Amino acid sequence: MSWTREALERAEAIIARYPQRRSALMPLLYIAMREDGYLTEDGMRQVAELTGLTPMQVDSVASFYGMFKVVPQGRYLISVCTSISCMLLGADAVMSSAEGEAGVPAGETDAEGIVTIEHVECIGACGGAPAVQVNYELVEGMTQESVVEMVRWLRETKPDVVRADELQEHFGGTRSFDPGVLEAQGAVGPYPAFDPYGTTGGGS
Amino acid sequence: MSAYPQVLTKRMLEHPSDSNTISVYEETGGYGSARTALDMTRDELVEMVKSSGLIGRGGAGFSAGMKWSFLAPGRPSYLVVNADESEPGTFKDRQLLERDPHQMIEGIIITSVANEVHEAFIYIRGEYPKPARRVQRALAEAYEKSYLGKRIFGTDYDLDVTVHLGGGAYICGEETALINSLEGRRGEPRLKPPYFPAAKGLYMMPTIVNNVETVSNLPFIIEHGADAYKALGDEADTGTFLFSVSGHVAKPGNYELPRGITWRELIFDVAGGIRNGNGLKTWIPGGASAPWFVPSEHLDDPITREACGKAGSMLGSGAVIVMDDTTCVVRAAERVVRFFSHESCGQCTPCREGTTWEEQVLRRIEMGAGREVDADLLLDIADNISPGLVWPPKMTTICPLGPSSVSPITSITKYFKDEVMQHIHGGGCPFE
Amino acid sequence: MGGAPLSELVKVTVDGRELEVPKGKPVIDAAREAGVYIPHFCHHQRLEPVGMCRACLVELETPRGMVLTPSCTLFAADGQVVHTTTPVVKKAQEGVLEFLLINHPLDCPVCDKGGECPLQDQTVGYGPGESRFVEEKRHYEKPIPISDLVLLDRERCILCARCVRFADEVAGDPLIEFAARGNTTQIATFPDEPFSSYFSGNTVQICPVGALTAVPYRFRARPWDLKKAESTCHQCSAGESIEIDASQNDVLRFTGVDNDATNQGWLSDKCRFGFEYIGSKDRLRVPLIKNEDGTFREAEWAEALDLTARRLQEIVDASGGAAVAGLGGARGTNEDAYAFSKFMRSVIGSNHVDAQMDDGLNPRLLAAVDRKATIADLDTAGSIFVWGPDLKEESGTLYLRVRQAAQKRGVKLVVVHPRATGLDDCTTHKITYRPGQGPDVLRGLAASEGEYAAARAVLEGGPVVAIVGRTGVTEDPRLAESVAAFVSTLPEAKVLPFARRSNVYGALDMGMAPGLLPGRVALDDPDQVASFEAVFGAVPDHEGRGARGILEGLEGGELRALVMVGADPVRDVPDGALAARAFDAAEFVVALDLFLTDSSSRADVVFPAEAFAEKEGTTTNLEGRVQKVARIVAGPGQTQADWSTLEQIAHRMGTPMGFEDAASVSAEIARVAPAYRGLGWGDLRGDGVVVPRSEADQPLRYQPVDHSVGSVSAPFVLHYARTLYDDGVEMQHSLSLHHLASGAKAHLHPADAAELGVEEGDEVTVETVSGTASMTATIDASLVKGVVYVPFNQPGVPPLGRSLEVTVRKGVDG
Repeated sequence: MSWTREALERAEAIIARYPQRRSALMPLLYIAMREDGYLTEDGMRQVAELTGLTPMQVDSVASFYGMFKVVPQGRYLISVCTSISCMLLGADAVMSSAEGEAGVPAGETDAEGIVTIEHVECIGACGGAPAVQVNYELVEGMTQESVVEMVRWLRETKPDVVRADELQEHFGGTRSFDPGVLEAQGAVGPYPAFDPYGTTGGGS
Repeated sequence: MSAYPQVLTKRMLEHPSDSNTISVYEETGGYGSARTALDMTRDELVEMVKSSGLIGRGGAGFSAGMKWSFLAPGRPSYLVVNADESEPGTFKDRQLLERDPHQMIEGIIITSVANEVHEAFIYIRGEYPKPARRVQRALAEAYEKSYLGKRIFGTDYDLDVTVHLGGGAYICGEETALINSLEGRRGEPRLKPPYFPAAKGLYMMPTIVNNVETVSNLPFIIEHGADAYKALGDEADTGTFLFSVSGHVAKPGNYELPRGITWRELIFDVAGGIRNGNGLKTWIPGGASAPWFVPSEHLDDPITREACGKAGSMLGSGAVIVMDDTTCVVRAAERVVRFFSHESCGQCTPCREGTTWEEQVLRRIEMGAGREVDADLLLDIADNISPGLVWPPKMTTICPLGPSSVSPITSITKYFKDEVMQHIHGGGCPFE
Repeated sequence: MGGAPLSELVKVTVDGRELEVPKGKPVIDAAREAGVYIPHFCHHQRLEPVGMCRACLVELETPRGMVLTPSCTLFAADGQVVHTTTPVVKKAQEGVLEFLLINHPLDCPVCDKGGECPLQDQTVGYGPGESRFVEEKRHYEKPIPISDLVLLDRERCILCARCVRFADEVAGDPLIEFAARGNTTQIATFPDEPFSSYFSGNTVQICPVGALTAVPYRFRARPWDLKKAESTCHQCSAGESIEIDASQNDVLRFTGVDNDATNQGWLSDKCRFGFEYIGSKDRLRVPLIKNEDGTFREAEWAEALDLTARRLQEIVDASGGAAVAGLGGARGTNEDAYAFSKFMRSVIGSNHVDAQMDDGLNPRLLAAVDRKATIADLDTAGSIFVWGPDLKEESGTLYLRVRQAAQKRGVKLVVVHPRATGLDDCTTHKITYRPGQGPDVLRGLAASEGEYAAARAVLEGGPVVAIVGRTGVTEDPRLAESVAAFVSTLPEAKVLPFARRSNVYGALDMGMAPGLLPGRVALDDPDQVASFEAVFGAVPDHEGRGARGILEGLEGGELRALVMVGADPVRDVPDGALAARAFDAAEFVVALDLFLTDSSSRADVVFPAEAFAEKEGTTTNLEGRVQKVARIVAGPGQTQADWSTLEQIAHRMGTPMGFEDAASVSAEIARVAPAYRGLGWGDLRGDGVVVPRSEADQPLRYQPVDHSVGSVSAPFVLHYARTLYDDGVEMQHSLSLHHLASGAKAHLHPADAAELGVEEGDEVTVETVSGTASMTATIDASLVKGVVYVPFNQPGVPPLGRSLEVTVRKGVDG
């Protein structure tokens, strides 16, 4: 298959941390997403081989969870929370503004393949509602205007690494709580930036 | 700082910039309790936690010590920390994970020792990569000092802790669904009986599943004792409780409070009252699954498990969602029901089909296409998911997610029927 | 399920009635057996309960009051009090049914399941009068094929997961699963990985709605038009219980019947769908006589019978009965085989008879081995030992039963085979070896040496049940017997010697083997022979030849004539070329067959035979279980049962056998064949009868012999074994299945492929002393180096014979 040697080594290291091989399935799906940009059929076949399952067993698990994307995403996945707390503070308007600026309805990617907009359910940032994630990096206290600015900035600047605190500073508003120290790490694609799965943007 | 006693948030409030580092953690007395616990027996630890009255902070509110005592004899046993925080309105675990991960880690060590666990997992929802990074960094620091790994703290006890990211499914917060997910399966809840985790959990072995906040309380309890912990609250609701307050309040955020203060105090003092000078219309006391409260009946109730239960709701995960008088409650209810419909795992008929149907009817009502019969139809659909529409809810379902979807429906029917009928008769939303 | 021993009885009260129920039994089953039906969809007695559909909710009394609980996951315990008809239960049932119907399409008029649909029936019985759902139902593209045999309609699916659970738990083929979640959950297969399980048809049967439909049956009939008969499957030797459904004299469908002794309701797809040949337009309808120029002409029965009788009589008069041989009998009923056996012995006077095609085992081992196991013995074994074919390919029923024992009952499993088998994922130990070196493995196991010590240790955990057979046709058949001899040294061991073909066990029991007479009697047992002489007249005393000897004899001229009943030696004998030459050399060949096959087309006279489902009688499975087969349709044209054709030939040869109908044949068997003594058709209700019913009735008790077979070593050896679907006669004429034959591929170990310079998909030529064939190569890491595996009897591939030594080279012979 087409995974890099580094990805396969990482996969084996992850498998070794679990008493049963099958438990590594979800982390391996994230590695597959990093390898190909999204979860491809080949990616699922590779994961099946590594875990001793059939590809359909892998697909059955992958399709259960919303974060394993089986179609290519834009470089920046903008997840707009529209659950109750965010809705109460104007998330629906934030969503339509984001759709308007990107030029696509939620669930789709813009023509240039840069930005995908999606509805998500509660992302645990209710104190900073309305809240949004860019490649799962959190930006709280968005408004209709700030989300438009952010989408525009992302499309123009196309940063390699998406850093939550940076976006928060430029486009965000109230946070749920004091973050303490600010972070340099961020996301490099539309999958959670968690280093053991090899998906961070470096730094600390 | 806070007028109320602090256990969980003390360090992060006093050390805003580096409360998550091991150096600050140890400076402030951290990892002493872990050492103490390693010298205690399982029975001693279980007894202490039981008598502290510590109850689970994930929403179910079950006695932590009693849960530990149910652990079946088979070995190996496992610990899984539930950091899948996905109940709408809840964001307290995120703060604990980001700002004081060592507190949780020490709690993990204590829980593991008490339950003869040598492999523990922290299941963090996939949408929390930053908390996961913070936790991973803290784990690395602990491993570095041999507080984790082989022969921890110089004893012959081994303990490994692995972070496992979820994939975006609220139902994985249910303990058996979480276990299934950790096994690499679809996050579907298991039947209880027989799959009580303490008997047949992870890989069918005895497993303790505890919430982040629950284990984070353990260092204090071990250090100061059960009585000191009890004294922070009262006999029935011991210790402190993290409330996530959101919605139309001036100061949303996480607040560590003892139980016993009133809702009025919480909403108007602690959370700064309603924004923009608006009036309080209704609030959800314990996360999206909880039935709603109204000012006319509940504002001066004390926030205790008993009072909440008697009033037909629950403290749940401590998420308080406040709605002012600009809110269309039908729209709010529809949004909550939609959440449950999206998050249903799909295994059982009443939840899979019923929550969808509820959402469809509510949406029609909200958009102005409701029919006269729809108000009663909605209740009957709800009744077929949660017979009798009683509290605590009965279920025709495998797990409580289905019955949770019923809460907003019974709430708006009970307290805001006129608004519902206005939508139906008026052919639209009166708030538009 | 439950886990408690089922022998302890507890008191459970259901609707006020106190019942005595085995502890741990699901209350839904206990209630049903007491006449209280509880609606359900996801519950199935042969699957682990999941409590998903929620239709079976009942009220259970507890200290905290009445609790609604699913009765499929409520296991009987003493003192339980359960209510199934309270208002709360009824409301819950109506609620669940209404919920199931809100997205269910109104397809009944065009849905196969209509008329035999649990959703229809239970809605009428337990559902609301009408649905209050006015929203848009969910829609999917429908139906979509999920394999060559099964179609999926996701709109109809009620997500009970029976199909998913069957595929995973029972068949071990997790190719079909739930995808997505919540109200978008649907059944799915992976792109390019269809649900090509050998057992896929079972999901169509157990689907409680019309979501899964079978290609061979779709839109063919309505259940109320069907004529039904219980019968026994004839495709393989397990003798599964089936129901045959027919309409307008056409067999339309087989369904599995739950017989706990054999198939527990399941069928392989070959057993289930392999009936289409019965109604094929190519069936022989009238007798055929060969012209001078080699073509056939149609003839009247009288002419064909006269010709046959005259020619056979000439040959017998000139050269004695021993100049005539008989092959076949394994594909018909016991009555057919008995008539054949009697015909050859008493009318012709020959012992040259064989129901096997030089591809089986010692007939005494198969028919009369001492301490023969039953299929159910697998359930309660301590360990199971399989050294024989890949059971998944050759016996679906045994495969499923062994899998169940290993996965659900904790039975240990040791498998020995030259490559990967369907059971590998549940073995305690798997031994892979080079064909030819089986004796070394056997020696190692017997002596508990080296790498075999661990596997041997497992086999010390009795009782041991062993399934023993030839792993492929190039393997020395004496090896399997030597394995059986080793097995008899293991604790409380019982053995199932395995042969695959249809009613071969019945045929052998009827004496269709050299050295055997009907009823498990040895030809060298003078007392028994004497009692047969009373019935048969004389019993010839010359040494009988088996299939190979018969073909060699015909080729060499020592044998002059051949009577063939339902046999295709040119295809089924590994050395097919020898068979072809034998036919060419033979002076007179008469065949009783369903079709013109590669063998029957070489005959001089062909009689059209009745097929399965066209004649009544009995068959015997590998346990020795005698079961009934039913007649439900009339054979086409002028077909007759084999016993009837043989009777008429016998009559014209001046030695009538005295048979008037199948029952009269059966009556004689019961009088004459010791192991079948006194067996009447009335005795065979339920799960049949394992013969002999009394130890004393079986004179021959065969002890397997260790033949000390020597190892054969060669640079390259051939593993030549059957797959479920191949180019056999019935497969060729069963259009839904024929294209599923795997096709011939040369499976090579990666190192061998590298040495030969062969890559996946390259053409190679495989050559033995008996034949040469070109085919595509595929890499198979499960083989041992130096072994090439070729599936047996695949379309368009000449036979390779039965010798182990083989050469493989890249490219096609020019």
